[in-house]
Amino acid sequence: MSIAPAELAFTGFRRGDGRVGVRNHVLVLSPTGLTSAAAARVASLVEGTLAVTTGYGRGQVGADADLQFRTLAGLATNPNVAAVVVMAAADDISQRYADAIALAQKPVVALSLPGAREDVLTLVDQGVRAATRFVREASALRREAFALSALTVAVECGHSDASSGIVANPLVGRMMELLVAAGGRAMFSETVEWTGAEHLLAARAADAGVAARILAAVAAREKLYRDAGADVRAQNPGPQNRAGGITTLEEKALGAIAKGGRQPIRGVLAPAQAPPAGSGLFLMDTPFFSPESMTAMVAAGAQLVVFTTGAGNSYASAIAPTLKVSANAQTCARLIEQIDFAAADVDAGGGFEAMAAKGLAQLVEVAGGTLTFGEIVGEGAEVVSRLGPSM
Amino acid sequence: MTNVHRLHPDDDVATTLVALPRGGVVRIAGPGPGPALELTLADDIPAGHKFALRALPAGSRVRKYGEAIGVLRADASAGAWVHEHNLASDVGPSSTRAQPSSSR
Repeated sequence: MSIAPAELAFTGFRRGDGRVGVRNHVLVLSPTGLTSAAAARVASLVEGTLAVTTGYGRGQVGADADLQFRTLAGLATNPNVAAVVVMAAADDISQRYADAIALAQKPVVALSLPGAREDVLTLVDQGVRAATRFVREASALRREAFALSALTVAVECGHSDASSGIVANPLVGRMMELLVAAGGRAMFSETVEWTGAEHLLAARAADAGVAARILAAVAAREKLYRDAGADVRAQNPGPQNRAGGITTLEEKALGAIAKGGRQPIRGVLAPAQAPPAGSGLFLMDTPFFSPESMTAMVAAGAQLVVFTTGAGNSYASAIAPTLKVSANAQTCARLIEQIDFAAADVDAGGGFEAMAAKGLAQLVEVAGGTLTFGEIVGEGAEVVSRLGPSM
Repeated sequence: MTNVHRLHPDDDVATTLVALPRGGVVRIAGPGPGPALELTLADDIPAGHKFALRALPAGSRVRKYGEAIGVLRADASAGAWVHEHNLASDVGPSSTRAQPSSSR
């Protein structure tokens, strides 16, 4: 089924680095745990702002420190963000983030506790004033029409049941094939949930190097379990999965990978690593827990998340609108204020292709400003993974 | 829409998206051009759960999506519920499956 070219456009905000936002958040970023409560207060005081915080930020080393910086800086430079107020416990930390944000041509103010002479009330006052000015500037920006090639979409599944693997994930997979055909980028993650289906992913890899990276990523997670004296099968499938008819990890994986479609896999990304230019489907090697996995993909620049569920799952990204899709008829009927796209009756929706086209059209609507239930209810959060102990 | 799904012609199990009672007769057509299959359910099958399409012996690999989803720990008759009580994962440390290789 073909989609009229007019529908293959969304409206968004052009950013200084050339990317396109589907939301216009002013971010209050606290990269140090000492300032996170203050950042949350600033966000609660200024309409149109969003706090992204961490409980850590000191005493991190090596890959753990790198991931913390790459993820928080990636979230702050996500195209859905119009401007950023950085609030940190030290000037050098604040400045390092501000430099990365300025490099992405985004307005930024760097605040710190020393800059407020260690008075957190002064810091909040400075943050509120800076955020207030940024919100006014951001409100002057207007949406323009863009082709779907400007979109990067993250796909996630949570509390899956049998309907996820059989209906919802293949449907979203088809949406992602249409997106990629239109020049966009799609990605999915949760490496453990490739286990038992990794041979199918590897067979779709763009080249032998990508295939090897897919298999190595799965093997590495399995080794992490083994080294910890744990079993990769112990937490997967989870209780909602098993109640919904998913018996084994490989059965879960075979259903989960359908959410990327059947298209070639262009590459494997590290957490929070931006995909290269051009269209395609990418995998990202992340933890399977949605808060960490989705944050990593949004930090890589995804402007939207499509999230399939069987039993229901309210979690959403704070920065990227998260479209909830379910093909479980009971869930669609029961969770009216959670499921944005009810896909339980594909036949009534005109069949698989028509339903996938509708799903993509709804995603375009959300890109253009229609709110998801997750945004209205306020379920959004961002959670940065830790890779090692603090010193 | 159909609520009972055989996802691949090679599959050993079908999945029902609605609860079905023991003794109920289900007719499964497709995928593919093969003849429709009719069988009587040997157990109550909860929504989302699987049942055997034919008698499956203990120790056999069970296929869904045309791929192995685990190994049967007990015999399952045609129409029997297949879930945690009789099906075990075959990934992880005790895996008997061929390890995928990057050389294709």
